[in-house]
Amino acid sequence: MSSGSLPQSLRRAVEADLTPVRPLLPTWMRVLVAATVAALGLAAVAVVLQLTLRPDLHQIPRWLSWGCSALQLAIAVLLIVMALREAVPGSGLPKGAAALAATAGVVVQVVVGIATWVHSPGVPLLPGRGLASGLGCASHDAAVGAPALIITLWLVFRALPVRPALAGLLGGAGAAVGADAFNHLVCPMSDLRHVLVWHTGVLLGLMLLGWGIGTMWERRRSPRP
Amino acid sequence: MGAERRADEQRLIELMTGYQKGNMRDFEGLYAELEQPLLRYLWSFVRDATTARDLLQDAFLQIHRARHTYTPPRPVRPWVYAISRHAALMHLRSRRRRKEQLADDQLPELPVPPEVEKLADAATLHRLLGGLRPQAREVLVLHHLLGFGFEEIGQALGIATGTAKVRAHRALKALREKIGAGTGGHS
Repeated sequence: MSSGSLPQSLRRAVEADLTPVRPLLPTWMRVLVAATVAALGLAAVAVVLQLTLRPDLHQIPRWLSWGCSALQLAIAVLLIVMALREAVPGSGLPKGAAALAATAGVVVQVVVGIATWVHSPGVPLLPGRGLASGLGCASHDAAVGAPALIITLWLVFRALPVRPALAGLLGGAGAAVGADAFNHLVCPMSDLRHVLVWHTGVLLGLMLLGWGIGTMWERRRSPRP
Repeated sequence: MGAERRADEQRLIELMTGYQKGNMRDFEGLYAELEQPLLRYLWSFVRDATTARDLLQDAFLQIHRARHTYTPPRPVRPWVYAISRHAALMHLRSRRRRKEQLADDQLPELPVPPEVEKLADAATLHRLLGGLRPQAREVLVLHHLLGFGFEEIGQALGIATGTAKVRAHRALKALREKIGAGTGGHS
């Protein structure tokens, strides 16, 4: 076989680092790893923060409480699958599909929040305590979502995403929607001001965080002018 | 995908697998198989032979660093072209930041798809191809010149197979219209 045209500098660079490599695990196995780490992390956070199910859970129809949490979990897994696929060159998804899945995550969270408020008002929002309770819930949301976010982004950037901002955004959305699937069963407040500002805010914040990390990663890799 | 194309793809998969195991000869084989088509593809981005050669080297360095991200038996071509495309886009972005541009008379000829070769003289075709939007030109080059199927184009570019088909169709139509306009509708 002719290899005369292989430039010497490229040959030297390749020969200097030609150790055998193990191919990435298939996407479903990487998703399994991410889901396991996220679940263990979530359990640890729930124990440390002593999170318990909301007291009015029995007033909320099961399809809305456990059913919608399962739906949100399914969307979260789908988003993580998309992020991990996007991380491998040549297996990226159409941007429209990614946008649709991320939007579905946000829309389902908002609709579930409104439906829960219709069925049970939950613990009332006390005047002057909105900020404190909001910050408390936001920190719980972030803590619950952090393990999923960290493991997903680690798996994403261990590969070679050619659209890292999109991969990061999908990873952030998956972690955020997964965290909301849990917090939806835990947060005792149904007041829409609380839900839409703090819980939806954290969801959007984690998506933006993933996108921002992806953008920074890309900038670090880009050639300097 | 034709039998020949499938055999080519199978050969690429074997070379890639050997390369992942640390075999230099398989890397050389992969380079030899992909050098020319990749050069043409990269050329369509930068329209400069020297830069395309530099980019080819850069793309292969990225391929080397990311060789663990290839999972056999997936097709090799979409994986390789996605990495090469990324290298080209990074280069163009960096060039835009430097506000560096080639003058029109420095632009070399673009490869012409066989479907439109007979529609006008070579000089006109090169000029009109250069006037197409980069997205349209890229799909034309991949499909009509390098023989990619629409599914492979979709995988390499991160777009739906249908989108790839539509882009190729529109690009060819735009090229025909430009030729028609240039020759008074008698193409």
